[in-house]
Amino acid sequence: MKFSHYDLVVVGTGFASTFFLKKYLSKVGRKKKVLVLEKGHFYPHEERLKSERGESSSYKKYASPWQDNIKNLNKKKVWQFTTAYGGSSNCWWGCTPRFMPNDFKMKSMYGIEQDWPVSYEDLDPYYYEAEELMSVSGPENTPFPRTGKYPLPPHQFSLVDKILHKKYGNKYVSQATARASRGIATRNGCMALSTCHTCPVNAKFTIENGNMGVYDNDQVELLYGCQVFALETANDVIKKVLFQKDGKDYEVSGEVVVLGSNPFFNSNILLNSGDNNPLTGRGIGEQLGMQVQIYLDDMQNVGGSSWVNANGYMLYDGIHRKDYAACLIEVNNAPYYIRVERGKHLNVASFRMIFEDLPLNSNFVKNSADKLVPEVHFEERSNYALKGIENMKKKLPSILSCLPVEKIIYQDTEPNEGHIIGGTRMSADRTNGVVDKHMIHHQYRNLFVLGAGAFTTFGPSNPTLTLSALSLFAADKVF
Amino acid sequence: MERRNFIRLATIGTGMCLIPPALYFVAPGVKEYACVILKRELYYLKLEPKGVVSFVDDYFKATGNDLLSNLKWKGLFYLKSGWDKSDRVRDLLKYYLLSSDFFINKTDESKTVNYLGLFNSYKSPMPNPYSFILYPPSDIKEV
Repeated sequence: MKFSHYDLVVVGTGFASTFFLKKYLSKVGRKKKVLVLEKGHFYPHEERLKSERGESSSYKKYASPWQDNIKNLNKKKVWQFTTAYGGSSNCWWGCTPRFMPNDFKMKSMYGIEQDWPVSYEDLDPYYYEAEELMSVSGPENTPFPRTGKYPLPPHQFSLVDKILHKKYGNKYVSQATARASRGIATRNGCMALSTCHTCPVNAKFTIENGNMGVYDNDQVELLYGCQVFALETANDVIKKVLFQKDGKDYEVSGEVVVLGSNPFFNSNILLNSGDNNPLTGRGIGEQLGMQVQIYLDDMQNVGGSSWVNANGYMLYDGIHRKDYAACLIEVNNAPYYIRVERGKHLNVASFRMIFEDLPLNSNFVKNSADKLVPEVHFEERSNYALKGIENMKKKLPSILSCLPVEKIIYQDTEPNEGHIIGGTRMSADRTNGVVDKHMIHHQYRNLFVLGAGAFTTFGPSNPTLTLSALSLFAADKVF
Repeated sequence: MERRNFIRLATIGTGMCLIPPALYFVAPGVKEYACVILKRELYYLKLEPKGVVSFVDDYFKATGNDLLSNLKWKGLFYLKSGWDKSDRVRDLLKYYLLSSDFFINKTDESKTVNYLGLFNSYKSPMPNPYSFILYPPSDIKEV
């Protein structure tokens, strides 16, 4: 560390931190000093590709499996995340639909949980900004309010997509995605290879290839291998950030502190710091997914140009959300779902049905005897989500009546969606949540707690674009 | 279930503890069983023979080839299990087709099917069989 005190100390280098810093640096003077503490290391995409090919790489030592970073008490539940420079931008699959406006007002619209203290309209300009920064590919007519073209044109429809789009209009659209539909300066065009966690052609947006001008800014000092475990507080003000590097404890003071690690670690740091808000660490979870194969008679489902080629909103928003979960349809181009019957190898559509879930307090993060390792207690899914599945099974045959459906195969529910949400939920007042609309902690007013941990409810849409827009929004409104 | 199949199933099922050692030592190698199953199930395609052997070699290298696995493959052979009864057979067929030029040739049954290397998006030349690489937008008819 160059200094013992910084204007801003940021924990983590994933989406939440990076988009926050992007806006922060554009608004504050050149004299502000920023320290960024990253738990992991820089593991370049090119080196990750070598590992995927089975070749040797001196960076392999920086692979840090998620299982080694948390104590996961429910062995049936999987939580995917990456600990490294760029966080889970290294392993995400690049899906960037916006939330629907009603996702932010579940209480007032449907009597479910709480409304968010921010609205779709509040976030709208920041959605555009995040979409520009990620060079998102998408269609002109979307089910959520949006005008104009996306930065890149949409991906190509398959035949099934064309038929469903013709029937459902903007309720069935090419997915808005950070998997580039065309090559751009720092990324190539998507080849639909369907192994997006480490894109073989570097088509998806990552912090590494994003060219955002954050970590190469000379006001920013970035340190790797720094595991933040607690904050020192006095009179409800964060004074110091405590971290461990190479087995030794350090501390640094900051005027303002930003927690931008994932919801498990943000919660763990707060709990280790004596945060006694009863909701801190509570309501951890994510959406519930189920893969469905639709076997088609005499129709090849070909021509798609990305992993998730389209999104269906036919089961998403509506009055049913008073009783059961919304469902977002992700339409996959998954090579491993080919059929083996003669003449029908490509006669299949593969849908991932993604159901919203509720932030149940019975699912929680707890600090452990090891201050660096949070315990994750995930007990149950809500009946709200499970009823959503039953409804989907009733409705799907009718939704697909415009296709020559042979049979529908419902797989078991998936053990993860790769979206960790909750633990520091956002609320208008401190009795209902941990952070306010700007993601400032209700009690510690010089502390931001960013990311999907702040989501008030868990809509079915992929969270990354929204958490990135929230970071831009918070930094813009506060600085 | 046909009587003949039932007898085969009963023989293998009840004899699993008694027969396997004999099966293991007397019967030909497990890879040969896999080759035979592959050719049998894809009878309607012209499979390039050396490629089938190479594929099966690579497939078993990648998926393991222990004693238990050997016995299960032999069981599948003797049962004459097809893709509709066995996930193992289904996976074998899927991987073979994905690892070949079958989809590059737009599933044309008249063309010889050549093995190109085990399907792997980081190493293999085989594109996603559904994708616009093989079926450009001009090929997708308007509806």
